[in-house]
Parts: sequence; C-alpha cells; structure tokens
Amino acid sequence: MMSPTFDLRTILLRLIGMVATCGWMSIAVGQAPSGVELFEARIRPALIEYCLDCHSTETEASGGLALDSRVGWQRGGDSGPAIRPGNLEDSLLWRAISYRDPHLQMPPDGKLPATVLRDFARWIEEGATDPRAMAKEPADRPSRGLPVERAAEHWAYRPLTRPQVPGGAANPIDAFVYAKLRELEIPAAGPAAPHVLVRRLYFDLTGLPPTPGEIRRGVAMISDGRIEELVDRLLASPRFGEHVGRRWLDVVRFAESITLRGFVLPEAWRYRDYVIEAFNEDRPFDVMICEQVAGDLMTATSVAQRQRQLIATALLAMGNTNLERQDKAQLEMDYIDEQLEVIGRAFLAQTLGCARCHDHKFDPIPTKDYYALAGILRSAVGLEHDNVSRWIERPLPLPPEEEQRYAELQERHDRLEQELKRLEKRLAAWGRPTTSSIDPATLAGVVVDSSQARLVGQWTASTFTKPFIADGYLHDGNAEKGRKTATFEPLGLRPGEYEVRLAYTAGSNRASRVPVRVFSANEQQTVYVDQRRPGAIGDLWVSLGEFFFEKDGLAYVMVSNEGTDGYVVVDAVQFLPVDRDEAAHGEAKGSGRTDSAQQQELASLTERQKVLQKELKELQNKLSSRPKCLTIEEKRPPQDIPIHIRGDVHNLGQTVPRGFLTALGPAQPQIPAHSSGRWELAQWIASEKNPLTARVYANRLWLWLIGSSLAGDPNNFGTTVEPPSHPELLDWLASQLVDHGWSTKWLVRQIVLSETYARSLQANTARTLEQDPANRFLWRANYKRLPVEAVRDAMLAVSGELDLTMYGSLIRPGTRADYNYVHEGTRRTVYHPVFRNALPPLLEAFDFADPSVSVGMRARSTVATQALVLLNDPWVHQRVEAAATRFHEQLGRQFGAGNNAAGHWVDAIYWHLLGRAPLEEESRVAVEFLTGGDRPMSKQRVQRLVHSLVASIDFRYLD
Amino acid sequence: MRSHKQASRCREEQGQFVEEQASALQLLRRNWLMQSACGFAGVAATALGAGPAGAAETGFAAALSRPHHRPRAKRVIFLFMQGGVSQVDSFDYKPLLARRHGEEMEFDDARQLAKTGQRTRQRLMQSPWKFRPYGECGRMVSDLFPETARHVDDLCFLHGMHTEGVAHGPATLFLHCGATNFVRPSVGSWIYYGLGTENADLPGFVTIAPSLGNGGPRNYGAAFLPPRYQGTKIGSAGARQLTMAGLGETQTVGQTETVELLRALNVAQRRRRDPAVDEFDAALQSVDLAWRTQRVAPEILDLERETAATWRLYGMDDPHTRSFGEKCLLARRLCEQGVRFIQVNYGDNSANPAWDQHSNLPKHAEHARAVDRPIAGLLTDLKQRGLLDDTIVWWGGEFGRTPYSQDNGTGRDHNPGGFTVWLAGGGFKPGFAFGRTDEFGFQGIEGKVHMHDLHATLLYQLGLDHERLTYRYAGRDFRLTDVYGRVIKEVLA
Repeated sequence: MMSPTFDLRTILLRLIGMVATCGWMSIAVGQAPSGVELFEARIRPALIEYCLDCHSTETEASGGLALDSRVGWQRGGDSGPAIRPGNLEDSLLWRAISYRDPHLQMPPDGKLPATVLRDFARWIEEGATDPRAMAKEPADRPSRGLPVERAAEHWAYRPLTRPQVPGGAANPIDAFVYAKLRELEIPAAGPAAPHVLVRRLYFDLTGLPPTPGEIRRGVAMISDGRIEELVDRLLASPRFGEHVGRRWLDVVRFAESITLRGFVLPEAWRYRDYVIEAFNEDRPFDVMICEQVAGDLMTATSVAQRQRQLIATALLAMGNTNLERQDKAQLEMDYIDEQLEVIGRAFLAQTLGCARCHDHKFDPIPTKDYYALAGILRSAVGLEHDNVSRWIERPLPLPPEEEQRYAELQERHDRLEQELKRLEKRLAAWGRPTTSSIDPATLAGVVVDSSQARLVGQWTASTFTKPFIADGYLHDGNAEKGRKTATFEPLGLRPGEYEVRLAYTAGSNRASRVPVRVFSANEQQTVYVDQRRPGAIGDLWVSLGEFFFEKDGLAYVMVSNEGTDGYVVVDAVQFLPVDRDEAAHGEAKGSGRTDSAQQQELASLTERQKVLQKELKELQNKLSSRPKCLTIEEKRPPQDIPIHIRGDVHNLGQTVPRGFLTALGPAQPQIPAHSSGRWELAQWIASEKNPLTARVYANRLWLWLIGSSLAGDPNNFGTTVEPPSHPELLDWLASQLVDHGWSTKWLVRQIVLSETYARSLQANTARTLEQDPANRFLWRANYKRLPVEAVRDAMLAVSGELDLTMYGSLIRPGTRADYNYVHEGTRRTVYHPVFRNALPPLLEAFDFADPSVSVGMRARSTVATQALVLLNDPWVHQRVEAAATRFHEQLGRQFGAGNNAAGHWVDAIYWHLLGRAPLEEESRVAVEFLTGGDRPMSKQRVQRLVHSLVASIDFRYLD
Repeated sequence: MRSHKQASRCREEQGQFVEEQASALQLLRRNWLMQSACGFAGVAATALGAGPAGAAETGFAAALSRPHHRPRAKRVIFLFMQGGVSQVDSFDYKPLLARRHGEEMEFDDARQLAKTGQRTRQRLMQSPWKFRPYGECGRMVSDLFPETARHVDDLCFLHGMHTEGVAHGPATLFLHCGATNFVRPSVGSWIYYGLGTENADLPGFVTIAPSLGNGGPRNYGAAFLPPRYQGTKIGSAGARQLTMAGLGETQTVGQTETVELLRALNVAQRRRRDPAVDEFDAALQSVDLAWRTQRVAPEILDLERETAATWRLYGMDDPHTRSFGEKCLLARRLCEQGVRFIQVNYGDNSANPAWDQHSNLPKHAEHARAVDRPIAGLLTDLKQRGLLDDTIVWWGGEFGRTPYSQDNGTGRDHNPGGFTVWLAGGGFKPGFAFGRTDEFGFQGIEGKVHMHDLHATLLYQLGLDHERLTYRYAGRDFRLTDVYGRVIKEVLA
C-alpha cells in the first residue's frame, strides 16, 4: 500500500535518526539532551516509529493531523493544534499518548514505552523545538464533492421548471415520452389487451386481483371508452389507501417493534392507519409532510385533527433505536441521525447521514448543514433515559367531556391508591392466618395468584396439599415437559426494588429443579427451585431474589416445566417492596396469636382491602384503555449545537446556527428565536419552492405505477446517481402535482390514463430490444413484480378468505416481545404487525422492505428460498386447500365433475388465479393433470393444480 | 482488480437492481453449465457424494471473479461464545490477580465511563480456576477448558483484543457487522458476497442456533447486499431441533407431482415472455435449486449417519455436551460440503445471554463444560480430515469481562477494552500468542487488535482485501471495516 518513494524516505529518515541518536549519545554522557538535540535524538525517531504511518502528508494525515513538520502539529488536525509548546496539559498530543483520556488514545495499538513518554513530556515542556520546516504543502486534497456554491450545476438542486408540453399526444405524459422516442427513433409497443390492462389497474391501484366478473365488466368499460370511470372507481375504493399507503410505509421504515430485546411498539399501528386514511382522503401531500415532521407544533380546529397531527409524528419516533447504548449522549445523536436519514431520504432524496462525520464526499452538503439540521431536531425529545432507554407515548387528546371523565377517574384512582397503601401497611403487621387457604389480600406487596397467571399448555387446578394462596394451586400433571409455562405479571407495579417470592405446595413427587425466570429492568435471571422441600419462608414461600423494576419495563415471572423431574406446582408470586420498614413488618408475620377483637378488625380491614383492590383494578383498566400515541415532545429549549468532529460527541467543534440545506439557495427561511426550527423545517420541505420535494414525490408515484424510477434512485437524487431519463417529464409531473394542490390521486389518475402506462409488454422488433433493452425510454410496459403483500392478499382473495376489515392493531394482547411471533389471520397484509425480529416467512422470502431503514425501491431477488416457502409454508398450504375446496364445489356445480368438463375447470381456475385464459399448451398440460389415469377430477388434483399456479411465475408478475 | 473496478463502475451506473440481475444470471449460467454437463440428477449427486464441486477461482454467486490475492483459507467456522467469556478465567493467565485479590483500585470501568465519564474504584477478584501449562508451547490454560487446552499447539491467541459497545446489543452487532448502531451486512454475508459458495445446492452462509436477542437476525443479515447473501438459519437458540426454515420435511409423491406440474406450467409461462429478460430464467431455476436443496439438506442435517466414534468425539454421548456437540458436528458436515461461512452459536435469547455472569461467576464452569469437549472434538476432526489447513476456526465472544468483581459481588462486568479470542487453522501461526493485557488482564496494552482489525485479517486470509471488498449503496462504497482495520500480519504463518 505504501508507495516505494515513501518506503525510501522512511528508511532515510530512520537512518538519519539513528545516526543522530548515536552521535548524541557519544558526546553527552550523563547529561540529558535538550532543544534540537533532544528532538533529533529522541523525538524524531519516535515520531517516525510510532506516528508517521498514519499522521503524515505522504500518507493519509489521519484526523487531519500531520506530524511530519512543525507546521503540521501547529496547525493541528480536526480537533485543533496538537501541541501547545510549554504547556503539557493543554497539548492534545500529550493527552493522546499519555492514554489518560479514554476517548483519545494514541497510538491505537498500545501505549508508548515509558521512556519515550518521558522524552515527549520534557520536549513539550521545554518548548517543543522542531527544526522541520514544512517539508511540502500537504497535498491539498481537492474535495471530490460538488461545492455548495456550484450546487446549481446538478439538476436536482435547480428550481423546478414548467416545461413546454410537446405536441403529438393528448396526454402530456405521452407527449414527453413520444418526443424522446421519436428523437431516438425507437418504435413504441402497442396497447395491452383490455383484460391485461384491467388486471394491471386493479393490482396497481388496490393491490388486489380482479375477479373474473370484474375483469369482464372492466373490459366492457374499456371497450366502451369508459376507462376513466373504471379508474375513478378504483381510486375511490378504500383499498387504494391500503395499497399505496403500504408503499409509503417502506419509505418511512414503519415497524411495530425494536430489534434489541424485541420490544413491541404498541401504538405504532396508529401511524399506519393515519397513512391509509390520508391516502384514501387524498390529503394534500404538503399537509402530510407538515403533519409528519411537525404535527405536534401545528394548530388544529378539531380534536380529530389534533389526534391526527400527533399520530403523524411517529415518523420521527419509529427508528430501530439502540435503547441499550450506555453512552446516552452518543445515543441522542444516533437517534437524531436516524431521524435525519429518514427525513432526508423520504422527502428530499438526500443522503444527509454522509455529512455527519465530514463534508459529504459527493453532494453539496457540508457538515455544518448537518449540525444545523441536527440542532433543530435536538429540541424534540424522543427518549426517556434509563439503563435501557424508553420511547415516548402520550395520551391522545380527546373531546372535552371525555378528557373530564378521565381526569375524574385519575383523581379517584390516586385517592384510592393512597388509602390502600395505608391499609396494607396496617395489614402487614398482622399475623398469618391458620386456615388451609391464605387470603392474598392479607399479604404484603403485590400478589399475583395462580388464578391470574397466563398459562401455556394444560395446567390442572388442585387443593390437595395445604395450605395454599387463595382458592388453590396449579400443577403441570408431570407431563409435556418443556411445553408448559405459567406467567405471573403484576399490574401497575410501581418502579423500584422488590423481593420476588414464589409460593408452591411442597411434596416428594414434586420436581427438584424448577426453572423460574424473573424478567426485570436490567436482566432476565433464571432461578431453580426445589419443590420437594418446603419453602424457606413459612414453609410456603421461596425467595427468588431482589430485582429492580422500571416503569413500563419488563416485570414478570415465568415458571416453566422444561427439563423437570416431577410435578411442577405454581401457587402465587409475591412482589415485596424492598423498603426496610415494610420488610420488617413482613417479618413480624406469623408470630403471635390474635384475639377475637383483633380478628374482627382484621376481617373488616381485609374486607375493605378487597373492595379497594377490586375498584382500583377496574379504574386502572379504564385508565389504561385511554388511547395513546407514539410521538416526540418538544421539550428542550431551542439551541444551536456544535459540529461533532468525526461524529464523536466527545469531540466538539464550532457551534453552528440552526438552518437548512444551503445548497438549495441562499434564500432560507428565518427561524424565530423562540422556535426550535422544526416547524420551519417542515414548511421548508413542504414548500413548492423546494426543488427536491415535489420531484422526489412525483418520481415515487411514477415508480409505484410504471415500475421504474425516472431519476436513478428514488431515495437519492445526489450527484452520484444517474440523471433523469426524461427531465422535462419529471418537472412537468412535479409542477403539476404542486399546481393541483399536491393531490396524490390527481397525479396517479394522469399517469394510469396515459398510453405509456397502458402499453403492452411485447417488443415490436428485435431492433428495439437492442436499442433500449432496459426500457429506459419507456417504449413498452415494464415487467412489474407484485409486492409480496399483493401476492399474499391475492392468495386470500382466491381462497375466498380475505377479511376486508380496516384499521386497528392486530398484535395479540399480552405480546411483550416480538420473538417467535406467529403471524395468523386473513386480514390484508398491511394490517399485520411489522415485527423487526419476526416477519412471516413469505414476506421475508419475497423482498419485503427492511423495516429498519428507509427503502425507496425494494430488492428484486430470485432465490430458492422463495420456491421453498411457496411449496412448504403451512400458511400457503392452508390457502391453497381452501381455494381448492372452493373451486371443487363451485366448478362441480357449474360444469359437473366429469372428465369432459376439465377444460372448463382449467379455464375458470386460470381466470381466477392469473386473470387470463390458459394458452393451448397450458390447457393441455393442466387438463391432462386433472384427468390423468381416467379418474374423475379429485379435489386433491385440483389442489395441486392451484398450488402449482400460486407458485408459478405469472401469479406474482403483471403482464 | 481491473474487472472489479469495472464491476463497481457498472453498479454505479445502473444501480443495485442491475447488479442483482447480473449475479442472478451468473448463477444461472453456472447452474446451466453444470446441468448440461451431467444432467439434473447428476448435480445433486456430485454435490453430495464428491463434496464441493469446483467453481473456477471463487464459488457460485460470487461478486468477484477471482480473489484479490492468493487465499490461505477457503472457509470459516466461527464459534460464538455469546455473553462474553472472562479472559482472566480462561486463556489470559494473570498470577498477580490472585496475589492482590480483594484489593481496591481505580479503573476506567467502561460502563461507568460511558455513563459518567468518571473512573471508579473496583475490587480485584482472583480466578476461581487453576491454570496449568499445556502443549509444546507451555501455554497456561485454566481448568475451564482442559480439552481445548490439549490443542494449544494448534491455536493462535489474540490477547490484546478490544472492541466497541459496552452492552450486549451494540457489542454483538459490532462483532458481526462492524457497526454498533447502523444496519450493516454481517461478516458472513460480506465473505459470501465476495467469494460465493463452493456448493451450488446450499447457501454459502449458515448460522446454527442463533439467538433472537441482541440484534437477532441483523447479526446474520445481508443489510443492503443482495438478499441472497444473508445467513441461512438452522435451528435457533433454545430450540432442540436443528431445522432449516422453508424446508419441507420430506419429498412426498404428492409434492413431487406438484413440483413437476409447476415446472411444466412455468416453462409454458416462460414462453409467453421476452426471451431476453433473464429474470424469468432465474425464476425457473430457483424452483430446481429449491427442489435440490430440499433433497440434499435433510441428508446433511441428519447426524445419525455419523459413526458412534464420531458421536463420542463430539461429546454427543454425554447429555451436558450433546447439544453443542451436535452443532459442531453439523458445522463440520457443512464445512465438508463447501459452505463458506458457518457460525456455531452458544447462547440464548435473553438479555443476559449464556456467558454473562454478572453474578455467580462459577456458572462459567457450566458453559465451559457444555462447549469444551465439542470444540476439542471439532478441532481433532477437522485436523484428521485435512480440513484444518484451509478452514479458519474462530473462537470468541462479543467482549471480555473485568478482572474486578461487579459491585463487589460474585461476578464480573462487561469489558470491551481487553479480551482474548483464538484462531486455528487457515494459515494462522499455530501455538502462538499475540498481544497482551495489563498486569490484571483489564486493558489491552500491547499488540492491540481491534475488532475491525480482526475482520480485516480474516478477510485477508480468505484472499480478500478489506479495503477493496466494497458495495455501492445509496451513493457510496461501503465496506465491512468502515474506514478502519489493519491486517495483523504478525499472526500469519
């Protein structure tokens, strides 16, 4: 890697260094060198040996610092001058080599020998004499990127134009496309057959296949010249928002869980519903931008609008955040970085993240722009920090009367809770009852009885061994080891430290090593309990240890029968606050008798406690049913932040005023003193003057419908990607979008009514294929693959099982982590939970967008796993079987089951599954298969035919 | 080099999508060549019977037409010890720790430092295990790993390891993907992407029993690389069965019928379409490949085919070592079949996985017992089959542990600043130790090797230059080692 000249130079320098060292030693015995001699004897060799590989103008000047000349360290690197002569403590070089700052340690592969360190210390303290003049100007590495002042040289940063529409076609889109084709002398393909166009329109606008009846009616409408009516009907269907909304969800990395620890984001679904509703209502896209970037800062005229605005801000909060990161300052910046990445890609198609550590290598985005934007987002708090930080959920605003109702409930709840606490303190002092059944109400802390446990597998209730808590205990029947669990989860446990105890009834037939897992704030710990011996506490309880529980953190105990050698018993779990006073009361239990007066008092106290607990539980249920949303909060005061050198939060540079991308022109909106600038950011993005926003969105709609992007990468309009194939068309689409009030449906309608959209796939001549094999100039339709959601929904549609219920969360109640989540059900795919650790196999195999990053265009892979899943996945099998049953019944009724009807059967199945009639060859193969061996057509054969067609190429492509 | 440059320029011009197609076509062409040479059934038979079928310089579906330089190794087996093994209780012998047991000292505790920026006082804790010298090289190994210790003359220790991330999540992601927070391809995906696989019937990157926690699938994900390069999971942590997702149980008559019909219908559908669009050929081929995998994989996964002696060698006769023994044996079987990167996980799905002894350090013995014999068995087996020469065995966790006790208790906290990994085979110096930690085994002070450096060195042995193995995504070239990484030539034989 080193150039030969460098090698030579190093050797020479080393030789000089050695000569100098020897020379010095021979003349100055007993006297420490200083000044130039010190430098030549000790410092120069050390620099060469330890530093110059990375810090020299000949190599890379890592961190901007070159140590091969005096000027090099005087000027310093990104963090400033490396040496302050005479001032050891202020010299960065000393800080680095002394290894005292854990964030700055050099050389990276180990501390320098002590003698060398001493030399450096003395040299710096004595004034750092360095005879090396600038060897040569550091190779002024020309910045490879486009400078800000020349940004207008790149098409995407130029103002939006309103290009003249060329003549020659009724639809302006076609006019632009034909003009280009004429220029290149490429003949256009003819129109697609009407039934092909109907299937295309249904899938592109609703994500669902047309039924054979719908195809017939659609074909009739097209032949009657009423295609506009067909398009308008599809645009008005609620299925439109579900289909197009899902495309947008790719762009904003929508997900309902976080990878680390599989935390479920229980309120994220509201954002998905917001998107579907917005597209169905055709809400202007500029309004959608403002709602998603700064909805919380907007004014509202109704409660519903206010709800919508807050829900939309989940865009900023859905990142796949590393909540565990211990360096919280760094975590905050990572969080903002992720937000900037998504905002940059989704709305502006800019890779802002590249400017975090250095000026963008290609695009006109200096680091100071990055921190100008980061400063804006800094005021919006999205995390509450703890060992594991937590995202923010806030109550949704409600109509006044409901707000009032909740306020009253809360007030009553707080009052009762106080009373209960006082009561429990008194009760804690009472003795242990002597009956066979112990009333949990008489116990301190929070007790979860086995009757309240969440059970997996068959558990049997019993009262055989006494005493027990409440009405009895449960056992696993000493069977199905490893398949049963009982989970005890306390409701509304206050944060704090608790001793956790497990109650069981001991016996010789019990298991000797029962795994009990305690899930707490910081850890998951497994404790093994020997249930053959009575519990150490009152023969009933065993302590599992002390644990810390956080608000909204994990807090439950799971008893499993995995690997156990006898009956596993669960009776109750107790969470005792580790408050030494209360603990002392607890210990007093079980001692002393109680007289009848006391008994009476105890009874009345217990009675009251029960009433209170019951009512509190009801209140808690009511309060927790109040809708919440995932959001951010504008909490921190507006503040400019410094550049983080090389992206490091511990290495701060110059502070930059909050602002926007300077490449988009000097006219930037002002941020008022009282504002963080986020509202201004939203307006700046959503402005018709912003040259990127409308182009980026118009290009996305084009991609979603036509199947190819007009400009290189829908998520990156930077200088490194291909310029648009039809720049005038792109500008026309973008400017028309703006002129028509940012209406998505208007632009979609223009596109699908064009001849360009309706073209056939077929090449007219072989020459055309040679001229433009990739169809960059749109002389024919693209081979469009259906997104996996449409493939899955189509399976449900043909099996007759599709449930078209809209909205709401489908996450099964009680799901605490997304691990191993089993996806079930027959709702449209868009409503199924998007779990980052557990996507359904079908989605995973067929290029579903990675929900951790903004995805503009999904991968288009063809791998064996896809075929494996289609052939083997149980969910696919179920759909195929249901479809086959349906066909077998219906077609049998319609055509009879005799072998001579097979041709009709095959026709019908092809129309249902592929939206077309079978070709002669296909018909022959399929009929032969159905009637093979002269047997009557069995349901099994029909099922295999359906399965083959579902797994075939045409089922997942559009003609 | 030139062809690589051209390839990347091509990507630059035409985007990821075309790149996808290009490699799909490449795969297709190779499959087609093989099929026309020996027929469909022949392919499966060759792959199973004769082991890796030779693809010219690199394997099937490789991004590079040839490695950057002459490789010393062809594949990697990574034994991942999740949770963090304590170096001072295993392979990094620190007698001073025993002498100064119980003393309080100031340390830069990584967690405290990240949170508060302060040094804290900590109490030194000696190892509960005795160390003894082993082998020709006389290396000291604790009683936790007596079986592995017999192989010290074949191992190359890196004692000055350091990495990023104080908590499991970030550190585990960093170990696998070279980044704590960003979504990046896993090291196995990078290698598969660069070199392809030697067996067209099997995926080139397999992870056995991975944990769902601490990054889960991201740790074997392809991120922005084409999806085919993601790791294929066999089994998962906590599950008894070692099965492959999507794989049917057996090929029944009915299924064969469905697949034959599917082939016939696909061929007819293919004829309707433009012959120039190769994506449809790939779709046809993917069915064949799936069907072959379904035929081949169950046999490879079937450990019953191995002899009783082999079972004993891997400790599968002992309930304590059986589970990890099975995984190691499966790794050897996959290795023989030419799978490029095989990760064997010892861990679980919890937030405090396996080796994570914050309290109760003696529990390390339980984990060591589960893995020690199987690992030794794997090394013996690879060696006797001549596989160790061109297979790198990499053993290690996401970080090490502190030499002092946590909160003056009975366990040790995480320590990303100094820990040990070892490598065997694949052209690493045998019976060698590189780097060292301070006198207590806390921080690497000499021969420090950053996780980026380890990645760079592993790639180097496989014939890949970590600075040139790049992928263009979102307008820039990404690499496994970001802008860092140094090949540790000192440890190369």
